[in-house]
Amino acid sequence: MSKRKKTQEDYYLASQWTLMARKLKKHKLAKVSMIVLAILYFGALFADFIAPYNINSEFPAAYKDTHPTKIHMYHDGEKVGPFVYGVEWVVDKKTFTRSIVEDTSEYFPVGFFVKGDDYKLFGLIPCNIHLFGTKTGSNGSPASSARIYIFGGDQYGVDLFSRVMKGSQVSLTIPFASAIISFFLGVTIGSISGYFGGAIDIVIQRIIEVIGAVPQIPLWMALSAAIPLGISTIKMYFYMTIILSFINWTGMARIVRGKFLSLKNEDYVMAARLSGVSTWKIIWKHLVPGFMSYLIVSMTLGIPGSIVGETSMSYLGLGIKSPATSWGVLLHDASNVTDIATNPHKLIPIIFVTITVLAFNFLGDGLRDAADPYK
Amino acid sequence: MKDKLKDFFKKDLVQYILKRVLMFIPTLFLISVLVFIVIQLPPGDYVSAHIAALQSEGEYVDADYAADLRAEYGLDQPVVVQYLKWVKDIIWTPTDSAFYRLNHSHHNWKYSFYYGKNVWSVIHDRLGLTIAVTSVIMIFQYAVSIPIAIYSATHQYSVFDYIFSVIGFLGTAIPNFILAIVLMYLSYKWTGNANVGLFSQDILANGINWGNFGDFMKRMIIPIVVIGTSGTCGIIRSVRAQMLDELGQQYTLTARAKGVKESKIVMKYCFRAAINPTVSGLGGILSSLFSGSTVTAMVLNMQIQGPQLYNALSSQDMYLAGAIVMVQAVLVVIGILLADIILAFIDPRIRYSGGTR
Amino acid sequence: MDKDTILKVSDLHVDIKMLEGKLTPVRGVNFEIKRGETLGLVGESGCGKSLTCKAILSINDKKCRSTGSIIFNNEDEGEIDLLKLDPKGEKIRDIRGKHISMIFQEPMVAFSPMYTIGNQINECTRLHITKDRKKSKEISMEMMRKVGIANVEKRYNQYPHEFSGGMLQRALIAMALVCNPSLLIADEPTTALDVTIQAQILELMKELQKTYNMAILFITHDLGVVAKMCDRVAVMYLGKIVESGTAEEIYANPQHPYTRGLMGSVHKIGGKKTERLFSIDGTVPLAMNLPKRCGFYDRCDVRIEGLCNNADPELVTTDGQHQIACFACKNEACQKMRKEAEKRIVLEKTAGKEA
Repeated sequence: MSKRKKTQEDYYLASQWTLMARKLKKHKLAKVSMIVLAILYFGALFADFIAPYNINSEFPAAYKDTHPTKIHMYHDGEKVGPFVYGVEWVVDKKTFTRSIVEDTSEYFPVGFFVKGDDYKLFGLIPCNIHLFGTKTGSNGSPASSARIYIFGGDQYGVDLFSRVMKGSQVSLTIPFASAIISFFLGVTIGSISGYFGGAIDIVIQRIIEVIGAVPQIPLWMALSAAIPLGISTIKMYFYMTIILSFINWTGMARIVRGKFLSLKNEDYVMAARLSGVSTWKIIWKHLVPGFMSYLIVSMTLGIPGSIVGETSMSYLGLGIKSPATSWGVLLHDASNVTDIATNPHKLIPIIFVTITVLAFNFLGDGLRDAADPYK
Repeated sequence: MKDKLKDFFKKDLVQYILKRVLMFIPTLFLISVLVFIVIQLPPGDYVSAHIAALQSEGEYVDADYAADLRAEYGLDQPVVVQYLKWVKDIIWTPTDSAFYRLNHSHHNWKYSFYYGKNVWSVIHDRLGLTIAVTSVIMIFQYAVSIPIAIYSATHQYSVFDYIFSVIGFLGTAIPNFILAIVLMYLSYKWTGNANVGLFSQDILANGINWGNFGDFMKRMIIPIVVIGTSGTCGIIRSVRAQMLDELGQQYTLTARAKGVKESKIVMKYCFRAAINPTVSGLGGILSSLFSGSTVTAMVLNMQIQGPQLYNALSSQDMYLAGAIVMVQAVLVVIGILLADIILAFIDPRIRYSGGTR
Repeated sequence: MDKDTILKVSDLHVDIKMLEGKLTPVRGVNFEIKRGETLGLVGESGCGKSLTCKAILSINDKKCRSTGSIIFNNEDEGEIDLLKLDPKGEKIRDIRGKHISMIFQEPMVAFSPMYTIGNQINECTRLHITKDRKKSKEISMEMMRKVGIANVEKRYNQYPHEFSGGMLQRALIAMALVCNPSLLIADEPTTALDVTIQAQILELMKELQKTYNMAILFITHDLGVVAKMCDRVAVMYLGKIVESGTAEEIYANPQHPYTRGLMGSVHKIGGKKTERLFSIDGTVPLAMNLPKRCGFYDRCDVRIEGLCNNADPELVTTDGQHQIACFACKNEACQKMRKEAEKRIVLEKTAGKEA
């Protein structure tokens, strides 16, 4: 058998998922996006380790609104490798404005896997090793007296990079969790609508239409009024997830219903029903796998919307609130335009939001192309 | 005469429009239910919120007062009765009621604690400006995106097509309030003025008229860019894809084989068919405009409904918040209805099938 | 060129630029059509029939590039090479629809759903005959009547979705014939229709051909239709014509192994019940980077090893109008071509060795 025939046979015998993976691999942007997302999620998982500081610990006031720390190579004309200086506040006697200057009397080498603030890895394992940080100074001062803030500090002197890392745990997982919830809600409600039809179908369709008609963000905002004040971070997280899922399931339900209408009269469904398979099982075993790829595409394309939802709500102060942190909370801290004009580094979280949203969009686009495996 | 009337109602188009308008009613009903649920969501009712507010101002409130208030507002009634009363009050308030005497209005949308006025007058203040801003942005979106989409589709894989595709993708993907923050930062850096979206007192007091229209448009530039970009890019993407689809259709080939001019093929056949999904997306575009403008208006300090909603929510002023959501949803549904009717006029297939899409 | 010849296609190539390389679905097609006659172009799907006829009107996709020459002998304007005209220009647009028109395979999608049938037929009339609205409408309606559409006044203002498939094909024919063209290209006009309607449409086309004395280029893969309709037949395989001749000749005496295979794969009335229909093994190869050999080599049952896979046979005239492109045929002309080819191969081999 010739090689071409063999690949042809391969093609016809390959499962839907293999074909999809194969097509996805050809989609360069989707591939890059997948890598970017993998890095971001990996970062979120090990956020406490990657962040040089525990954002719940004490931070020196001198680092309030500090700009990103400069990393030097030469101390007094001598090459000593990467290091940072400590900082101190200087008040101008005439104008009474304060500015931050570097204290060049002592240098603090920067290194990997240094000891720092205590934290619990994955919330379980006590640990104090951080991916990078400062070491003991050249004059013997403790490492914590000079800090490395690669993204600068916020208005309380907390390391912005550590907050971005910690915030990614919330900002990246809430949309994901809500996507999964909307997936189950959508499939269940959509399949009920499509499988049973009739009056149930009409009512569900109307409800979907109405929820679709109400502008998303205002509705999210209005729903956030249901969140009781002063609840714990975990509960807050839970509420946000539910609120975001409340809207996103409708799109999924619509796809499922459409597919059901076309598939429910197929012979294999009839055969399953005649052999006494329960309705629930027919739905999940025989019907859903048939259009799973479309659902995954729609799920992926729904995530960016949820990210924007979470970020904008937290930005407005209606979602996650300080001391808990998310990218939206960080943007909330950057909402004063005169403040960001002097401290533009506070806009850095925007880059993370944008990259994540773009990556999910590209990935969704790639998946959509790949979901049509014979095209 | 009677026969003429009968004939009129027998027409496909008339029947279709009637059907659509009738379907509007259950939709309105469901929206009102949804909004009522939203209003009921926060723990406690608004009497307790009101009392809490009074207490925080140092006033002494006894339990009887609260009970009286609850009885007066009907809060001691079952939820269904409360809902019915709420809806009834919005539609019609009797002339002898206190609300009518105070406001000379038949529409009682309840009371906004935050603004200290009845809800309808609060909404009314900003509704005109909100609709004006939204329509200006929408007109901009269609006016910019459709020519670009046609160009991109007829010059597929050309340099401009690539450029527009990239911009289009970025525009749809980047959240617009983030664009707003960045743009505001840049405009502050360059001009030292952060109040980009603020409308003049004249506009706020008198609404938009010929005298201040120029000023209004000048102030709309940044909001148009910020709020309009994602929608514009979305329309470009969908119209382009649709146009490419139509250009590949057999009937464009038929037209070409007839000797029809290329530009006429594009406009008469392809564009006409491609405009359909764009029109039917009108409701969605309106919805996303309201959505996008809400947060963006906060960033840009625009005096439209978004900040109002925010103030209402942060002070637990739920009747106002609910009313704003409701007004926006109803506007969107009206948009959908209009789109459906326009579609029936321009697409013979929809008329024929009676609108079962 | 002969005055009787209306269209002469010589050495037509159509290339399609693709990411993976250049596809050449039409690789040197030659044929000519006389006034008033019907030429059937036969071949299986993907052999380049449709591309060939779209190339005549220059309405192929932008990615396609046609080379060679297509001479159209216009009665009043003389000979024009259609390939030399700007595909978007006024001159070719004037020929399209007026002198050469085309009907398509699927009438259901050949009309735009957004406009009435009348509008779309009338567009053609107004473009080529008269700008006068009233007159052109009359002409269009008259044509609709001629193709057998009843109740024209009402039908004229109806949309495509209100027509049946057969009626749509009639309307499409009306649209093609409304300007009284001298050549009609019919690209599988009956494939999408059921058999009874098919017969009606074919009958109609024959009738109209007589009335208007037009030539028809009839493209199909249905040999039954060819037998009914065509004066001459050209069999196409992998972008080339492999055999052509009068319909009687081709049916009575098919020479090329591919033609014989095609004939064998048709049901015959009175054939044995137990007899299996003949089928040609394998599939048509992809027309990309084809080696210099006979396109049918892989599937041929009379192939000559060493010859057929080293040289591509050309179309040679055997007797009268019969043309064949095959080394294995026993007639004189083919054998002559075979000898030349063998000589060339030997020469090339020795030259290759020396180099």
